[in-house]
Amino acid sequence: MPKCQFLDPVELRKAGKLEFKPIPVNQYSKTIKEEKENYSKDDFLRIYYDMLVIREFETMLNLIKTTGKYSDIEYNHPGPAHLSIGQEAAAVGMAYNLDVDDFIFGSHRSHGEILAKGLSAIHKLDDNSLKKIMEEYFGGDIETIVADGFNGSVKEMARRFLVYGTLAEIFARSTGFNRGLGGSMHAFFTPFGVYPNNAIVGGSGDISVGAALFKKVNRKPGIVVANIGDASMACGPVWEGISFATMDQFTELWEGDMKGGLPLIINIMNNHYGMGGQTNGETMGYGIAARIGAGVNKDQMHAERIDGMNPLAVIDAYKRKKQVISEKRGPVLLDVMTYRYSGHSPSDASSYRSREEMEAWEKHDCIKIYRTNLIEGGMSTEKEMDAIEEKTKGLISEMFSLAINDEISPRMDLIKTPGIIGEMMFSDRSVDAMEPGEPEVLMTLEDNPRFQQIARKERFAFDKDGKPYSKMKQYQLRDGIFEAIIDRFYKDPTLIAYGEENRDWGGAFAVYRGLTEALPYNRLFNSPISEGAIVGTAIGYAMCGGRVIPEIMYCDFLGRSGDEVFNQLPKWQAMSGNMIKMPVVLRVSVGSKYGAQHSQDWTSLVAHIPGLKVVFPATPYDAKGLMNSALQGTDPVVYFESQRIYDIGEQFHKEGVPEEYYEIPLGEPDIKRYGDDITILSIGAALYIAIEAADILKKKYSISTEIIDARSLVPFNYDIVLESVKKTGRILLVSDASARGSFLNDMARNITELAFDYLDAPPVVVGSRNWITPAYELEDDFFPQPGWIVDAIHTRMLPLDDHVVEVDFTEEEQLKRSREGI
Amino acid sequence: MATSIIMPRQGQSVESCIITKLYISEGEKVSKGDLIFSYETDKASFEEESEIDGVLLKWLYDEGDEVPVLETVCIVGEEGEEVKEMIVASDNKEVEPKPEAVESKKSALKAEIVNSIPEGTRISPRARRMAEDNRIEITKIAGTGPSGRIIVRDVEVVLTGGDDRHTEASYSVEPLTNIRKIIARSMYSSLQNSAQVTHHLGADARRMLSLRKEIKEKKDQPGYVNVTINDMVCFAVIKALQKFPRVNSHLVGEEMHLFNIVNLGLAVDTDRGLMVPAITEVDKLSIQQFSEKAGKISGECRKGSVDPDILAPESASFTVSNLGNYGVEMFTPVINLPQVAILGVNTILLRPADTGDGVIGFVPYIGLSITYDHRAIDGGEATRFLKQVAIEIETLEI
Repeated sequence: MPKCQFLDPVELRKAGKLEFKPIPVNQYSKTIKEEKENYSKDDFLRIYYDMLVIREFETMLNLIKTTGKYSDIEYNHPGPAHLSIGQEAAAVGMAYNLDVDDFIFGSHRSHGEILAKGLSAIHKLDDNSLKKIMEEYFGGDIETIVADGFNGSVKEMARRFLVYGTLAEIFARSTGFNRGLGGSMHAFFTPFGVYPNNAIVGGSGDISVGAALFKKVNRKPGIVVANIGDASMACGPVWEGISFATMDQFTELWEGDMKGGLPLIINIMNNHYGMGGQTNGETMGYGIAARIGAGVNKDQMHAERIDGMNPLAVIDAYKRKKQVISEKRGPVLLDVMTYRYSGHSPSDASSYRSREEMEAWEKHDCIKIYRTNLIEGGMSTEKEMDAIEEKTKGLISEMFSLAINDEISPRMDLIKTPGIIGEMMFSDRSVDAMEPGEPEVLMTLEDNPRFQQIARKERFAFDKDGKPYSKMKQYQLRDGIFEAIIDRFYKDPTLIAYGEENRDWGGAFAVYRGLTEALPYNRLFNSPISEGAIVGTAIGYAMCGGRVIPEIMYCDFLGRSGDEVFNQLPKWQAMSGNMIKMPVVLRVSVGSKYGAQHSQDWTSLVAHIPGLKVVFPATPYDAKGLMNSALQGTDPVVYFESQRIYDIGEQFHKEGVPEEYYEIPLGEPDIKRYGDDITILSIGAALYIAIEAADILKKKYSISTEIIDARSLVPFNYDIVLESVKKTGRILLVSDASARGSFLNDMARNITELAFDYLDAPPVVVGSRNWITPAYELEDDFFPQPGWIVDAIHTRMLPLDDHVVEVDFTEEEQLKRSREGI
Repeated sequence: MATSIIMPRQGQSVESCIITKLYISEGEKVSKGDLIFSYETDKASFEEESEIDGVLLKWLYDEGDEVPVLETVCIVGEEGEEVKEMIVASDNKEVEPKPEAVESKKSALKAEIVNSIPEGTRISPRARRMAEDNRIEITKIAGTGPSGRIIVRDVEVVLTGGDDRHTEASYSVEPLTNIRKIIARSMYSSLQNSAQVTHHLGADARRMLSLRKEIKEKKDQPGYVNVTINDMVCFAVIKALQKFPRVNSHLVGEEMHLFNIVNLGLAVDTDRGLMVPAITEVDKLSIQQFSEKAGKISGECRKGSVDPDILAPESASFTVSNLGNYGVEMFTPVINLPQVAILGVNTILLRPADTGDGVIGFVPYIGLSITYDHRAIDGGEATRFLKQVAIEIETLEI
């Protein structure tokens, strides 16, 4: 799209061939002796110790899962435990050279990575910083537990803290790192640079890219490592994440110090298996996963296969790749080959692999070989090694006893404090800017051409005689969204926005016209057509502390970002025990005219998922006020827009849309027209259908209608709706969503329950048909029309004198449609 | 000394009765046998006669009041006698119950108002509340909502008296009596909730008529019992029922309750409306015993002194309704659910028939109409039963 990049047909049509550089495979070959110049004895032993801590930790969990006890103490852990026995060198090698500021993201099999990165951070942090972290985390709750009766060093205490916090989290204790709300597959601890692990395979594939984007855009030190499995290379979010991470624009279009690649390492923890499928030879075609780098960008992602059975090989790779990243030549792809002795989970009988294979790998056991090498290399003795082993066993066994003690490590008491999880679903903060600082902009707001154009518009749709101004002159709904967004761009330096056509074009619906002039690439850019990655990267970006507005264009594309919207965006605040904030405003546009895959209102789908706030403004005044609130908050908000009404003027707020900043609280419906006989509650653009219906009712049947615009779906305050129903006794609910499973039904049920004695008729829901959306020319038979509303009122609530029905709203028809599933 | 006249307990299940009429004013003389007041339960109406002579000193309740059974209704005594003490005593009695009890009684009453909506009536919650708040009987409201649902505007029409569709007022409004409401509800419910089919069949009545003639002739003899045609038909029915236990039954949910005795319900037309008392264990009676018992209970119904417990449709296992006296030739009686059938008895008509040897003559036939619940019984069985009744009639032995 950028005009500065000329696509020259002469050049592009020339014959030639594409050449690839060789991809190194297991090239590391140094001996202990050769490495002595790089490692002290303490370093060598520390690597051994770290691997042992992981081995013992995982062995303990394995014993609990398979035998019900560890060190003769019985315990039942019904939850998951995806173990990484055998992968210790890969984890410790990955973490060894990472700084505290470097973030790791993981998978369902990441206990080892948490411990490795934690131990690495403990080694690098000074005592005071460690003390501060432990004292401040949950007000020192965990520290108090692990400090009781312990007199060792701060670092030793920190190791207790790390093992205990992780284990208590796995055992769902409220004293775990995430209050027991994350569990085995999600545990993390950000002060040590351990970011969320993800129980959805490949889930970190795009979230980690967003974290790297955060570091880059906000000039933060450190890199991001995505530890994902070999099998996740088949997952959409991973491909989308890689595509996003390797966009040319980082090096071609981003300017100044922003020019250059993302500080990201995609670290494939290649243990050869995905569930029961073998990626090498069965379920994938890459043979060696590092091959993937060659297909992605010119640098081939600096891809390499590393022997993950040797910690020193992994450490060496990381040292080299960190250098590449510091030269802004990221991202990097590492294929760290390893092997898991344990099954996918303890319930897996490993029926898909042979005993010979497992035994062969055990002979290559990373810990055993490393130990032998150290002793043979003269760096340690059997005795010294045994002592380290004893020490790790003691640590694990002591922390195990603490973590299973119900008095010391209680679970959340949902009887005494029934609201405790509910309180964590949203952070509900009001924050002008996620970080202090001067926002990076290219011009003053007053110089912006869009700003100047809007200044000439009429902020109320009608003149003093009640005549509407021309569409061009009216301040439109898209202007309301724009004003709120550009205002925030000048307030919050962390705010960025992206989507498939956000820059230059200004969005397919012209909401962002004027933003390109105002903002550098690093704050507004075009993304690949990867709705999964658009939302997934936004999650990673917000998780690290930034505010972001991803846009996926059509609502119908929500399915493409299904996992991100349903499993990731809504969950991380609560799953972190509310440590993480998620200030993401996801713009979603409900279409029309474009048929079955471009015209669906899926508000009900997102409203169903706990953890998302959902709004759907229908007027310029509400659009601006709700966007301001969404951007001021710290929660994920799915912000729906309707393509029918981007050009609608403000018809209700007589003072016109204020030029200055104002907020409309999320969750408050608004009475758009007062009336006495019947209430219509609308969601989104159906407001205008309701208005037309009300005009017919008034004119033909002298019925006065009260119209309430829901504005928000989640949260939703029923007060004014109930008040209205108590007055009118009747309510009809309308939106463009297909009627079956529509959120309107949820509202109708609540209203029925809460105002039953006041109802003169059952609440009636008028939605779209349960069909595919037909062509534009047939839409009037699909989407609710004013006449439908009148017919439904006549048939189901209040027979109207001499009314002739056109659309069948009888009970018989309702039952018939239900029987037929349409 | 003054005497308290109390509200009698009519049947074990009756907790209170409504006073329908006061016959004597305060200060008026009353003699033994005079009617003092009439009252009704859900199921029947009754009259209270005075058992003493005196003056009616004080009414403690008025017409329309609901009075708990065994409560004092009025006081009869010598003229000028002091009654204050007795009223206080009676008042105290009313104060006595614990507040909770009063509360529960209130809510019980409220529940009854709600229940008084005839089954099948559609009314919106808001309209119902408005009707209740304004003490409008729902049966008086015509519904104009979807499917005839009573909606707010219909209550408003009654409230403002502004139903311009009925301005001519060519009728007078008479609220339904309790017993009428009960009949309305059970008849409507019966037709709504079962699958009723009626078959008609005639039985040769010559034997019955000659038996009746014999009985009449013995009028002056000692031990005479006036066994009527209806008694004979009933007796034939009792005998037939013993051969057809599935007809002598109740359909309850998805179960048939087959009776091993016969409790015969007898439809009795009274001034207050239709009553169907059950005469229990009639299979153990001779026709004379049955005749006497039936005569007595019909009389009690007409007087209003019948035990309300035997009026419940559950008390009878089968019912006979006789309209023959009125010359009805054929009708379709309505089943008293949960019973599964009812026999309608018609008038006797002369029908041409083969009187033997190919000679056609006029023979008296009594018409029998059976309505049965097709959910419980099939047409074949109902017909065979009806035929059996005819056979019993034709071969009756006294």
